[in-house]
This record gives sequence, C-alpha cells and structure tokens, in this order.
Amino acid sequence: MMKKIFHISLCAILLVATILAVPRISHAEDEFLIGLIPEENIFKAIEKHRPLEAYLSTELGVKVKFTILSRYGDIVDRFTSRDMDGAFFGIYTSMLAADKLNVEPVVRSVNLDGSTTARGVLFVRKDSEIRTLKDMKGRRASFVDKATAAGYIFVMAYLKNHGVRDTENFFSEYSFTGSHDSTVYAVLDGRADVGAAKSRVLDRLITKDPMIGEELYIIADSPFLPDNTLMIRKDLDPALKQKLKDALLKLDRTPEGLKILETLGIKRFIDASDEDFSAVRSLTNEAGITPGE
Amino acid sequence: MSTLLINKRFITGIAFIAIVAVMCLAPASALAETVGVILPHGAYDYERIQQVLKASLESESLTSNIKFLLQRPYPDPIAYSNAARKLIAADVDIIVVYGASPTFAVLREKPNIPVLYAGVYEPVAAEIKGKKVVGVCTKLNMSSLVRYLRGSTTIKNMGVVYYSLESDSKQQLAELQEIGSKYGFNVSPIDLKYRANLTELLDKSNADAFIITSSIMAVDYLPTILNVATANKIPTASMITREDSAALITLTADPVDQGKRLAQMVTQLSNGKSVGQIDEYCARKVELVYNVKEATRMGLKISVDLVTEATKLINK
Repeated sequence: MMKKIFHISLCAILLVATILAVPRISHAEDEFLIGLIPEENIFKAIEKHRPLEAYLSTELGVKVKFTILSRYGDIVDRFTSRDMDGAFFGIYTSMLAADKLNVEPVVRSVNLDGSTTARGVLFVRKDSEIRTLKDMKGRRASFVDKATAAGYIFVMAYLKNHGVRDTENFFSEYSFTGSHDSTVYAVLDGRADVGAAKSRVLDRLITKDPMIGEELYIIADSPFLPDNTLMIRKDLDPALKQKLKDALLKLDRTPEGLKILETLGIKRFIDASDEDFSAVRSLTNEAGITPGE
Repeated sequence: MSTLLINKRFITGIAFIAIVAVMCLAPASALAETVGVILPHGAYDYERIQQVLKASLESESLTSNIKFLLQRPYPDPIAYSNAARKLIAADVDIIVVYGASPTFAVLREKPNIPVLYAGVYEPVAAEIKGKKVVGVCTKLNMSSLVRYLRGSTTIKNMGVVYYSLESDSKQQLAELQEIGSKYGFNVSPIDLKYRANLTELLDKSNADAFIITSSIMAVDYLPTILNVATANKIPTASMITREDSAALITLTADPVDQGKRLAQMVTQLSNGKSVGQIDEYCARKVELVYNVKEATRMGLKISVDLVTEATKLINK
C-alpha cells in the first residue's frame, strides 16, 4: 500500500515538474500578443504595425497580434493582466518591466538618421515670452505621462538640477496627454505653455509639417537615451525567442523588410541588453523619482 | 457719581469703537451695480460668454444685486457708438463689451466708467488701451487652424473671409497672409464689405480651402459660406460658431473660461478694485471642433490628428 502511495506521489510530482519545466509559448497556442506603448496617436500606431504583424506571423508560424497598451502608467500591470508575450516599451517602462516582470530585452530600433537614441525636449511656442526656467514658473505644462523619460521624467530632473525643490508645484497646471504628438499639438494650439516630448516624434512631425519647427522653441533637452525596446517573457520557448529576434534583425536585408521598416519609420532593429537602461536609471534618480511609484 | 459718569462715557466710547470696527471689518456687502452690456446681435460665441458671466455672478452671493442693461447693436460702428452712448447716459457702473470693434467704439466715447472687454483677439493691435479698460483677450494661433486644415486637404489658394471694418478680422487676415507667404500658399481675401455679392466672391476666389475669421459680421453669413463650400467640396475652418451650422474645423476660445474670468473682473470692480488693479487675462482654453459628418459628406479623408486632438466631434 505504502509503495503504491509512493508511486502515485512520485508520478504526481514528476507530472507537475514536467508541466512547470515546459517552456511557455504564449497564453494561446495560436496567438503571440505584443503590446505597443501609446507613444503616438493609437490609430496611427496600429496602422503602422500591421505589415510587421503579418510578417512576424509568417516568420514565427503563429498568429502575431499587436495591441495598444492603454497608457504608460499601467503598462506593467496591463502586461501581466493581458497575459502578453512581449511589448515594445519606452526606455523608462523597459527599465520598469525589466525590474518588475519576468522579461528580457530583445531588440531596439535604429532611427532613420542612423541614431539609436532619442532625447526628451522641453519646448514652448516661439512667439511666447518663455525662454528661461524663471519664465516657466507658474505656467501650464503638458506632459506625455508620468512613466515616460522623454515626456516627463527628464523635466523633473532638469528642474531638480536647476535648484527647484518643489517640482510638483512649479507649474500652475500639469496635464498628461498620453502621447508625444498630442503634447506637441497642445503647445502649438496654446492649450499649454510648456511641453515635453520625445525628439524623434517631434522631428517626425516637423518633417511632415515644417511649420511646426518654425513655431516651437526648444528650451532644454535630456541626455540621449536608447529608444523603444522590445521586451519578451523570459519563459517563452527559447527557439521561438531566437526566431523572433532573427526575424526582426534581418528585416533590413530584404526589400519586403525594408518596406516594413519604412512604414514603421525606422531604419532597422539592433540587439538590446540590460545595459541600455543605465542612463534612464540615473535620470530617474536625478529626478528624485522612485521607479514604479 | 463722577466715577459712574466716566464709566458710562468709557462704555459708550468702547461701544462706538466696536461698532465702527465691526463695520470696517465686515465683508464688503453687495454693492448694487448696474452693468451695461454691449453684445452684438447674432454673435453666438459672445452670447455663450455672457451666459457664463451671468451664471457665475448669480452663484456669487456678494454680487447678487447686479443688474444688467443689455444692448444688442447690429455689427456696425455707428450702432456700436449709439449703444455705448445709451449706456453712458443710463449711468451704468460698469460696461461689459464683446468684440474689438464694439470695444473701440465704446472707448471713443471716452466714458468715465470702467470698461471690461471680452472676445478681443489682440487688444494692442486693435488699439484698445487706457486707464479705464481691461478684459479678456482671445488670441488664438492661426497657424493651428492652417495646420489642421492642411491635414484635410492640400492648400494652394486659401480664401479668407474677413470684414475690413473689424480690426480683429483684419489682423487675422494679415497673419494668414504672412503664414501663406512663408509656407507657399496664396491667400485670397474675401471682404464682407461686399457681402451683397458674397456667393459670387466665394466662387470667383478659386480657393481650395476657406478660413472664416472671427468677424461678427461673418456669423450671419456662415450658412451661405458653408453652402458654397459644401457644394464645391471645399474644406472650411472657422473662428466663429453658430448653433445651426458648423464648419469642418472650428477653433475658438472656450466661452466658459472667458465668462468666468469676466465674472471675476466684475466682482473685483464691484468690490471696490480699480481697473488698474486688475490684470488682463488671455483666454487659455480652446475649443477645437471637428465636423466628422461634414468630412464624410464631402468625401474627405478623416484626419486622425483632428479626431484625437478635437475637444468635440460632430458625428450626427
């Protein structure tokens, strides 16, 4: 009898161990879900990623689906609650995800000008009288989200570095638009006096409409920070992870791939690593912000 | 006996001082004020500011005694002057006036009454200055209007509807001409002075987009302009609104923001502050309305930027 119980127990343990040891492919066998940060207008973002979605589905042999993460602030929670396999995070949320989720960096993007980084820019309308830190005090500020390095954290670091202690009450209004382009439009339209956004998004808007460049004045910018990074679950099948990485890294080697990159507005993808987060870690520290709070 | 008298005098003195102190320290009681208002006939945007002004004052217990004396002149300089003279003759305590041209007309009468303006695009350019005048300005970014319009169509020739007798409207035309010369599109001015032939003027302009400046006169003609635009599938952007018709894109200063600030100014004056102690306020909140229904009807590509940035969408 004891022998039988021992055998059943052993089988049960082995079964559980086997289940745990099998690498997870995804929440659903036939779908690989990748989140996108709401860096820009969500309609544009989904449209831009459609060709990549189709390409990756063919390359990986599973249906790849992109979905917009509702907002920066709850990206880490949403990643877990929606059982995602990966996500293109901003640099700050990548750092948060690396700390709080069981994810690892795979690739990050190279901009059209060949740069692999982007800066945060603090800007005002050129026809405003705001040019210095003193002029900015008591004005209405528009940010992207509290969980963005380029669209908020760097400004807090800038204020601290210039002797502002009470950064929470420096501006008369703090509005968060949820995307970089909306913040640019908020300042252009006069809905805010001061704005902060990612230089790459601003540059793209200026390329599309040179009037925007003529109307804005850059007061300050952040150090260069690595751009958006694809983070994926560590517990995914290693073969699938490699396939995904290879598929993205070789995009610039085929005409079809170059077309996809063109739609995405980037030159190519390159390898990403944990070391990429060191600059944003020190910026967060300078801003006096505790990551994730 | 003498001690008793001294005590009585002392108590009377203390009581008198106490009464005076209470009178001085008590909050300024509601001063009965008559506010003369010049609200040009048919100016829907100004009506909305006036409604907020009234509602805000009604909610302030200190100013519950304020009475309004309303003048609704037609958009004409002579009518504005007549309205101003009537209010001055009626000895109102404050004049609230909407629009640059009506404000200018009031100031020409040199009233010794505080004047509060609202809906003035650029007070300095409209020569609105003086010790007795302050108010709410509504400087909007013309470039935003052009940018959103260019998101809907390619512009080579922009028809700008303005009124040469209204300084704000003229100022906006000048700004659009400057933007046009900088960004390579032609501006065809359409002056409402010749409004009898408006349809013909609009047709002849060969414009591929229309901008309607914040002219009081243009409010009456907005349906005519929009009819021509729709018939020819020409996108429109407007700085004025009407209850019954809307351009493809409308950019205006938020009436609630303006009305509330104006109410604060009335309250300050009625509580004894002088005009010099009140700062001019430039309206900071804007209303951006995107008429999706019209865009669909005209077969235009729906602008994603506008859908996202608009404070209001017209779908039905």
